[in-house]
Amino acid sequence: MEYLIHLAIFCAIYAILGISLNLIMGYTGMISIAHAGFYGIGAYATAILSYNYGMNFFLSMLIGIITSMIAALLIGMVITRLRGDYFILASLGFNFIAFSIMLNWQGLTRGALGIPGIARPKLFGLSFMLDQNRTVNLDFLILSLVILGLIYVACRFIGSSSLGRVLKSIREDETAIQVFGYNTLNYKLLIFIIGAGMAAVAGSLFASYISYIDPSTFTVNESVFIIAIIILGGLANLKGSILGAIFLVLLPEALRFIGFPNEIAGQMRLGIYGLLLVILMLYRPQGLMGEYKL
Amino acid sequence: MNNTTKTILGVIVVVVLVWAGYAMYQKPKSENKTNQTSQTKQTSQSGPYKIGVLLPLTGDAASYGEPGQKVYQMAVDEINSSGGANGQNLQLVVEDSKCTGKDSANAMQKLVNVDKVQVVIGGFCSSESLAAVPIAETSKVAMLSAASSSPDLTGKSTYFARNYPSDSSQGAVLAEVAYNKESITKVAFIQEQTDYPLGIYKAFNQKFTALGGTVTKQEFPSSTTDFRTVITKAKAENPDALFVDTQAPAGAQRILKQLAEAKWKTRLIINDTTAGDPKTIQDNKALLEKALTAEFGVDSSNAKFQLLLKNYKQKFGADLPFQSYGQTEYDAPFIVRDAIVAVGYDGTKIANWLHGSVNNWQGASGNVTIGSDGDLVGGHKAEIIMGGKVMPYTK
Amino acid sequence: MSIVPQLIINSLITGSVYALMAMGFNLTYDTAKFPNIAHGSSAVVGGYTVFYLANQHGLNLYASIVLGVLAAGIFGWLCDRVIYAKLRKRKATSAVLLIASLGIFTMVEAGSAVLFSSQFQTLASLIPNQKIFLWHNLAFTEIQLLTFIASIAVLLLAVCGLKFTQFGKALRAVSDDAEVAKIVGINTEKIIGSTFFIGGAIAGLAGIMVGLDTGIQPTMGLFLLLSGFGATIIGGVGNVYGSFLGAVIIGFLENFGVWTIAAEWKATIAFVVIILFLIFRPQGLLKK
Repeated sequence: MEYLIHLAIFCAIYAILGISLNLIMGYTGMISIAHAGFYGIGAYATAILSYNYGMNFFLSMLIGIITSMIAALLIGMVITRLRGDYFILASLGFNFIAFSIMLNWQGLTRGALGIPGIARPKLFGLSFMLDQNRTVNLDFLILSLVILGLIYVACRFIGSSSLGRVLKSIREDETAIQVFGYNTLNYKLLIFIIGAGMAAVAGSLFASYISYIDPSTFTVNESVFIIAIIILGGLANLKGSILGAIFLVLLPEALRFIGFPNEIAGQMRLGIYGLLLVILMLYRPQGLMGEYKL
Repeated sequence: MNNTTKTILGVIVVVVLVWAGYAMYQKPKSENKTNQTSQTKQTSQSGPYKIGVLLPLTGDAASYGEPGQKVYQMAVDEINSSGGANGQNLQLVVEDSKCTGKDSANAMQKLVNVDKVQVVIGGFCSSESLAAVPIAETSKVAMLSAASSSPDLTGKSTYFARNYPSDSSQGAVLAEVAYNKESITKVAFIQEQTDYPLGIYKAFNQKFTALGGTVTKQEFPSSTTDFRTVITKAKAENPDALFVDTQAPAGAQRILKQLAEAKWKTRLIINDTTAGDPKTIQDNKALLEKALTAEFGVDSSNAKFQLLLKNYKQKFGADLPFQSYGQTEYDAPFIVRDAIVAVGYDGTKIANWLHGSVNNWQGASGNVTIGSDGDLVGGHKAEIIMGGKVMPYTK
Repeated sequence: MSIVPQLIINSLITGSVYALMAMGFNLTYDTAKFPNIAHGSSAVVGGYTVFYLANQHGLNLYASIVLGVLAAGIFGWLCDRVIYAKLRKRKATSAVLLIASLGIFTMVEAGSAVLFSSQFQTLASLIPNQKIFLWHNLAFTEIQLLTFIASIAVLLLAVCGLKFTQFGKALRAVSDDAEVAKIVGINTEKIIGSTFFIGGAIAGLAGIMVGLDTGIQPTMGLFLLLSGFGATIIGGVGNVYGSFLGAVIIGFLENFGVWTIAAEWKATIAFVVIILFLIFRPQGLLKK
């Protein structure tokens, strides 16, 4: 039971990452390989503030969101004006650079040593700590699901609003909507920032749950994983992203129980979502529930 | 998407979830039939004592994890065949911690919540231990590491202890020998950006600069293969010695090869993982002549250690690799056994016992005393490499 | 400062490897009109084929290298035949092709880790007693020299091939406008397939040379690819001289970056420059 809760928390975190990237990729059509960078910013914000200053989780999460959004603003201003392929390369470059900063700026992040002992959230005296007298981690799962719910509702709202319609038009034909007088750059930048902020939320949850983070979690491979989640689930479909997250998080666990030898289980996960991407592109680019074919 | 597809997908999802959940319930051997989800302590004699193990079975440190698992199992088999602990057998529950904090925390969660162990032997890499300690604390599970050497773990928690020395001793010993005995005043570091080399650098730097020396450092991420310019730059600084500080022997080999190609002959200092790999030392013996190192060495006159070597060779058909870890890994299950015999199968009691009652405990790794801060008392000894062989440093 | 000449040599050596990657990447990018992430995988395939044949099976080194290059080329060709061609037929956008190539890349990385362990392996044991040249106090090895020579050779072959052969002319036609080329009677599918073969083969050679010089590991594909991609951008897509130039520039950036700033920032420096080019001069230094 406990282990299922543990897995469910991961599903929730990746669902948040998937939904937020879906806003950028699925609704607006910008293929970004930078998401793990914003995920990392949120995680490190919570980790650093909690470890060094004992700051309250929700406050540190807020700071993480703001930091991530500022980073997205600065990066976005520069790269959202790039066309297709070049945007992708630049976003990948950003992820790489963010990773290098996490690794090298040791005064801030302790580099490869990582930040241990990150505290769990405390809300109105209620603590989400591991405690042997009640069901461990269930509180944290509920917190994660609540946050996931809030983000889902927000994205739903954006998707069905006029902003959402503009974004989808940008995806379908950017030049056409520019003719109508819409400043597409501003819209792209806006959604890039919003997506980055939400990714930071997932980062804060992750840092607090695992209680230890280091740069190795926030690599380009992680960004590719998040892309695989939303492509599997279906671009521009929020429910699909949640489904995709559940599927891809549970898959390696299922493999482990089939009895794949330990030595290759880790690599198999990597290989399988690579294979998944290829198969999806060939036979079902709209994913499980998608409305939008890449 | 039409309704049939939706239904099919829904069914698949449900099936996967149910299957995963079912498989999960099948796994733990001693199922607690009551619906209590709180930590139940297995105080009754209802089965073997489960000992959790955190080891890197995959990933970069897998070459350490694999023999480690064999050694632990060998020790436990011996314990069980001689009566176990209070007549009960010990049973290892091994989880792959992959030498990363995230996977170690995952693995520790599983050991603590699913297998409900009271004591865990591990982690191996320091990042594994650092990540697992907070979980051990809140679940009141004792941890004994046979290999983690980060100075950050000293006094970290009453639930963590180790029978392997902290790297602060390795750094300090090397700094002392280099400055005081070898008149080396300037050292250039080429250091890999992972926790173990970073820890050694910090310890060395602290002691060496306190003695009056200067240290320069160049760091590199683990994926680096081209060291030519790093070496060129270090050479231009004209240091008295070059410290090759990598996570594993493979990295050191790469650097040593490029050092040879750059035709730079200088005094070298290496860390204990590299020193512990005879092949690297042999292959590079010209470069490494008179190189300094410090290991938590092995004592070949120790009878238990000799027995360990012999049994390992007999059972697995190969020589025991990484012997300084092998000896502590062999001792760890025995120490845990003694703890259980003394205070019972209870995480808090075992943790307290580890912090106070391990005094002059005789093992394959020699005389083991664990201080109240959880650290092994005593540690690394300085060594020098001559003619392709590592020998104790004497002057 | 006496260290600058050594840095120049180091930069040229680094640059030669990137040049091999870039020239192959440039070829497929310009012809098939999408960035083939799996290009990095060709290098991995080449390196590991040689490892498998020579290290593990004791085949003659030169034969292994030839087979390694061939294997990498066939791999590139297969990616096109099995996956990209199908997608092209469906008029898939370059985004789809890119994501498919990303999937292939991930699979090859995982596959080589499963087959050969994720540990770093060196091919250098196949060339014991390598000559180390010492020229005016500058050090470089035989392999490094050969890599440099190989990159120049490939450059010359590519330039001449494109200009003077029938195949080269057809290739240029396809990259200019595939539709028109088809109308004129050129078998665009065959040309594109051959392009992937050639690009893959060159990348395979790069992987092998890196393996002989320093070593191979399953994750090496990414950085080699990014350097190739970046070099192509800096030099100018569609211009072979450009990719060579771009690669040398990145080589210099990296090595002088280590010297002036620090080793741990070397990749960041290269990336920042690439991004600057993307913003301010996306057409690159040299025109097509």
